Formats: sequence, structure tokens, C-alpha cells
Amino acid sequence: MIKLAILASILIAFGIGSNDSSNALGICIGAGVIKFKRAVFLFGVLVFIGILLNGDKVMRTVGKNLIEVAPSVICLTMIISAILILISNWKKLPLSTHQVIIGSLVGSGLASGSPVSFMSLSNILISWIISPFIACFFGFFLYKIAEKIFSRLPFFKMESLLRIFLLISASLISYNTGANELATVLGPVIHAEIPVNTILLYLITSFSIFLGTFTLSHRVIETVGKGIISLDPFSGFIAQFGAGLCVFSFTWLGMPISTTYCIIGAISGVGMTKGLQTIKFDLIKKIAMNWVLTLTSAFTLSYFLTKLILNIL
Amino acid sequence: MLEKLLGGGKLEKKVLEKIKKYLDTLCSATECLKNLLITEDVERSYCVENLEREADVLKREIIATIYEGAFLPYVRPNLCTFIEITEKAFEALEICAFEYRYLNKNIYQNIKEDCLKVAKINVEMCQILIKAFEALRGKDNLRERNLAIRICEKKIDEIKLEITEKLRKCDTCEIINFWEGKNISEFVESLVRISDIIEDASDYLYILDLSLK
Repeated sequence: MIKLAILASILIAFGIGSNDSSNALGICIGAGVIKFKRAVFLFGVLVFIGILLNGDKVMRTVGKNLIEVAPSVICLTMIISAILILISNWKKLPLSTHQVIIGSLVGSGLASGSPVSFMSLSNILISWIISPFIACFFGFFLYKIAEKIFSRLPFFKMESLLRIFLLISASLISYNTGANELATVLGPVIHAEIPVNTILLYLITSFSIFLGTFTLSHRVIETVGKGIISLDPFSGFIAQFGAGLCVFSFTWLGMPISTTYCIIGAISGVGMTKGLQTIKFDLIKKIAMNWVLTLTSAFTLSYFLTKLILNIL
Repeated sequence: MLEKLLGGGKLEKKVLEKIKKYLDTLCSATECLKNLLITEDVERSYCVENLEREADVLKREIIATIYEGAFLPYVRPNLCTFIEITEKAFEALEICAFEYRYLNKNIYQNIKEDCLKVAKINVEMCQILIKAFEALRGKDNLRERNLAIRICEKKIDEIKLEITEKLRKCDTCEIINFWEGKNISEFVESLVRISDIIEDASDYLYILDLSLK
């Protein structure tokens, strides 16, 4: 069972690599700042550094503060989450890793009769709601400030600076992938008192993310990179950096939040500098619907599956 | 990699140097046309063609280097468009030099002074265009350069009207031959078109400068 939980977290990490690495690398590769292989290597290293240096708070929130369950339930949660995430990746459904893991964890926890800390749960839910708005705020003000500074620079100087900044923002998101996203995956495993070498687990899951990025992320990165950078690299950088700062702040507070939603929030913030009419309310509705659906479906599935399996056992 | 990021990569430097050389060639070509109009030595008309060929080679090298990976993809097509706009100036210079060879010199004498004025302003505009391009790399004011080019272009527009007027009212050089008329018309058209193209190129540099801000 324990081995299955670790295998499940490795599989989820692989899913993160194949799907979510585009958040970090899409713009940078699309902008031609860095080649794909180098970017993936840098991404893998930063993910490992992120989980090693900053992952503890998020891991504690997800694995300890939210719920304390038996290792066998954690194993079930991780397996259900892994299956859900891999199926959603395969079917190209936009499910957030955080929501699947938290939803499954709470579902399985309640089904097994473990006490759920509703204080922690509400903190997480509030973080999910406010994080895109904070990212929007960051995007808006960063754009306003950067626009003033950058407008004084000569064109070619600005172009070369933009390449450096794009690399910095990609590094920040890569670091956050380790410190927040991977920490959400590993939190339950680390705090379930499963006998495992922590550093080795960090290393293996980081390598799994690297492998997922290297083997399957090419197309997503290309789509994100070309889609965003062909519009405006400056706005792309601000959106990515704003989202990176937002996720980093929440990581520091120990809250597991979605980088994708923060990027959408920051893009809206950048768009708002040109007027409120640029905000796509249909997209926000779609995100909110997806948000509720992911959480409830992960919760319901985990709840009933855990009940079923515990009854059988 | 850090050197590439901090100091602008080798490819970027190569492109910028080649664009500078390309604009210098344009300047030499306008100078060449000016000398041709002053000396009326037809042999000098061939130097414009030679410079146009040189510029063509440079243009290919610039575009190839850009697509080897210089600059952000967002900037690449804009730089190529700038080069393509300036290329039209070479075409206009070449047509002008070519038409000059077959020009009825009696007709030309009547408008020589005005044509020389235009050619001189063209040289001046080219030099300002180089400075405008340099402004994208340094602290020079691009807006001022752009404004100076517009003023020059306006002057040429006024001279063009004078040339047309002189050609229409010329008693000593009435044009009755179709080919002579076509010849002088194309000569004057291409001579004054150079400034239009330089103005377009300068406007494009200005838009390019705003595109990342």
C-alpha cells in the first residue's frame, strides 16, 4: 500500500510535468530565450530546489493541518488522485492538481471518519478564491510600474532586458512548482508517517516532473509560448511574474494554490490597464464552474470509493 | 548564456552592425545619385546599381541572421519589415539613376537646381535615418529624428510641386515625345519617392520603438 502511495505521487508528479510545466516554460521557450532541453533541465533543478527549501509549509497545511488520516487512507487518496489527474490529462480536461488532491483528501478523510480541520479547509478555499484576484492586482500594478521604467529605455536595451526578465519569471514559476504544487502532492505522503527518505522522495518526484516535461510537454509549451508571446512579450512577462509573485506569497503562507488560475488572474490585471472591457467574463464563469466541478467530483469520487473499499476490507 | 542575455547575443550584435552597414550603403547610394546629378557624368549612375547589389546581399544576410534566432520572435518580423521598406528606397534610387541615363538634358537643365535640392535633402534624410536607428540602441531621441525626417519630406513635397510646375510651363523645353515625357516623369517620380520611403522607414522605427512599451 505504502509503495502504491509513493508510486501514485510519482505518477502525479509526472502529470504535473507533462501538463503544468507550460506555465513556467511556455513564454520563455516561445520567446526563444532558452532552448527546450536547457529549459527543461533548469525547470527540473528549480523544482527540486523549490520543494527542498520552501515546500515544508504547504506540505504541513495539506498533510497535517487539513486532515490527519491513517497511512492506508492516504494511499487510497493518492491513488484516486493519480487516476483522476492522469485521466484528465489524457482526456485533456483542465483539472487543477491542487483541487483534485485536496478534494480527494477531504473526501477520503470524511469517509474514513477522520477529523477534518474546517479552519484549514476554509483557509485553503479562501486562498483559491482570492489568489486570482491578488494575481490580478499584482499584474495591474506591476504593469503600470514596469511600463514607466521600461518606456525610458532604448528599444534594443529593453529587448535584451526583457529576455533576462522572462528567464527570471520562468525560474520563479519553476521554483513555485516545486514549493507549492509538488509540496501539495507530497504533503500527505510526508506527514502520513510513511517510512521514506524525504530527500530521496523529493529527488525522485522532481525527476518525475522533469521526465513528464521532457517527454510530453512539448506541444503544450509550444501552444502556450506561441499563443502568448506572439501577442506581446512584455505583457506575457508581467503576467507570469505577477502570478509567480502571488504563488510565492501564498507558498510562504503555506497555502496550496493553482499557478494556472493565478496566471489567468495576472493576465486579466494586465488587460485591465487597457480598460475593464478587456476582461473576459465568460472565461471567468467557465473557470468558476470548472473550479466547483473539480472539487466536488474529486470529493464525491474519493468519498464513495473510500467507503466502498473500507467496507470490502 | 549569461553573456548573451546581459550584453545582447552575438547574433543580435551581428544583425545591428549589418543593419547599420545597410543604412550606410543607402546613404552612399543617395550620395552617389547626388554626385551624378551635379556632375552629369553618366558613368557615375552605375555606382547606384552596384550599391543596390551590395545592399541586396546585406539584406539577405540580415534576414537570415534574424531567423537564426536573433531577438525575440515578436521583434523579428518588425525588423525584417523595416529592412524591406528601406529596400524600396534602393529600388527608387536605381530607377532614378537608370532614367537619368536616357534623360533629355535640355529638359533636365530646366529642373536641375530643384533636383539637386531634392538629392541633397535625400542624403540628409538618410543620415537622420541612421541616427534614428542608432536612437533605438542608445539614448538619442527618436521622436526628434522622426520629426526632422518629416520636415525634410515636406520640403521635398514642395520642391516636387515646383518641378512639376516648371516642366508644365517650360517654353524652351516643351515635351512632345511620349518616351521623353515618360522618361522625365519616372525620373522625377523616383527622385521624390526616395524621401517618402525614408519617411515610412522612420515612422516604422518609431512604431517599433513603441511596440515593446
